[in-house]
Amino acid sequence: MNPPKKPAGAASVDVVGISARDVAQVSFADPAGARPMPGVPVIDCSVHPRPRPGELKRFMPPLWRDRRLPMGERYYYPNPLGEYLRDSYPESGPPGSDVALLSRHLFEESGVDVAILMPMTLGMLPDPDLQAGICSATNAWLAETWLGEHNAHGRFKGSIRVAPVNPASAVAEIERWAGHPHVVQVAVPMQSMQLYGNPHFLPIWRAAAQAGLPVALHTEPETGVELAPTALGYFRQFLAYSAYQPTTFINHLTNMMAGGVLDHLPELRLVFADGAWDIATPFLWRLDKDYRPMRPDMPWMTRLPSDYIAQHVRFVAHALEGPEDPALLEEWLRICDGAKTVMFGSNYPLWNTHHPGEAFRGIDPTLRGRIMAGTAAELYRLPLPVAAQEARP
Amino acid sequence: MTRHAICDLADLPVGGRVIAQLDPRISVGVFNVGGQIVAFRNECPHAGAPVCVGTLGAAVASSGFGERHLEHEGCILKCPWHAWEFKLPEGVTLTQPAFRLRAYPVVVEDGRVFVEERAPERRGAPRGAAA
Repeated sequence: MNPPKKPAGAASVDVVGISARDVAQVSFADPAGARPMPGVPVIDCSVHPRPRPGELKRFMPPLWRDRRLPMGERYYYPNPLGEYLRDSYPESGPPGSDVALLSRHLFEESGVDVAILMPMTLGMLPDPDLQAGICSATNAWLAETWLGEHNAHGRFKGSIRVAPVNPASAVAEIERWAGHPHVVQVAVPMQSMQLYGNPHFLPIWRAAAQAGLPVALHTEPETGVELAPTALGYFRQFLAYSAYQPTTFINHLTNMMAGGVLDHLPELRLVFADGAWDIATPFLWRLDKDYRPMRPDMPWMTRLPSDYIAQHVRFVAHALEGPEDPALLEEWLRICDGAKTVMFGSNYPLWNTHHPGEAFRGIDPTLRGRIMAGTAAELYRLPLPVAAQEARP
Repeated sequence: MTRHAICDLADLPVGGRVIAQLDPRISVGVFNVGGQIVAFRNECPHAGAPVCVGTLGAAVASSGFGERHLEHEGCILKCPWHAWEFKLPEGVTLTQPAFRLRAYPVVVEDGRVFVEERAPERRGAPRGAAA
């Protein structure tokens, strides 16, 4: 473990004096053999930039500008390995806040060509208006900085953050930013007080579909309100908490299918930006099995559950997913229609960053090409990039 | 082609049905669907259940997000084993018309209903095609 370079901010020091930075043990450079794959274009669908300390304040709506916000890094389940990569901490500011460092790690050292940015927005807060204010400020900040002054190369693409608990503000944010040349999707927290198939959320999904923007769901590590990770309560350890997270995507997806959202909005595209491709397929088998006799319960649902996936759903593959054996990984990807539905995302700078040089090594190159860039280029209507490693001497 | 006498038309009122054995292997259900007489093999394309003895009722349908209503009253045959729904007189499932009952030609002559046994008009779903 590296010695701490500088004292971390008071916010990330716990009661016995341990800072998140001190315990950060995983390094971006650690994975054996993780190096760029020459000639392979890479669209990184899950990159998390962050404002520098104090930077967000001037973008906050005046009502909330002086409001203190909750803070913490996964309050109930602090990661024993640290929340972020050890070497993602800049000289000052939190991980993901330094454009030069992030660009060096992803663009220069790892072969990423395009980074889809998804800043975090404190997950769930008790006050939906405050939540909406944070989203609004985050969007304005991202547009001015990462998608603006730092984006002469055009390799940063962005997400519109919206607060699903506040549908009116969410729709307004989508309408406000949908025309931005570098905005490619809407993003919502995975965490929610209600499943996303609830009719309450429909105006948000409709606005995104009408704007032609996919909706990405991603776990927010700094959520204010933290619900029990299982219906039976709390895991004792972070490992279980972490492995269990993607099941929440399955819950949202099932509720949206059976609730009729996907039939009602054929243009809606969902991106499960924190994984679950590897566990979704067996669950879809179960849904298919009983769909026919259960159909009268949800007459608006007109297709077998598994039929919706290729049209509506993309998964950003997570580092901890899938079998380790490349042959089995390839077979499972084929069973799961991975060439159509799985996209690469690093999750940088989080501790479980998937190094693009390490991801999906050893599988069929055509399939890997679909995952590393092809499917994302289609979904986000981006030109398939010329691989950075080829383009540079 | 073999012609099997089933019943008098008078014994098959609208909404009625007769289950008949064409030979030791083949059972059929003959239905009067709004005045149209149709016959199907009494074997569900899903798992081989005697589908023709299932209930006849309506389908729950939807015209849009969150709306429910009933339609096809008396025309939905529900398989007694796994509740697959087949719409009569076509004999197709509501959501996947490729899954359908095997139909037999029906002839009504002189107030009598006959079922003809020959190469079926339609074949059922391929074996093992779905759960």
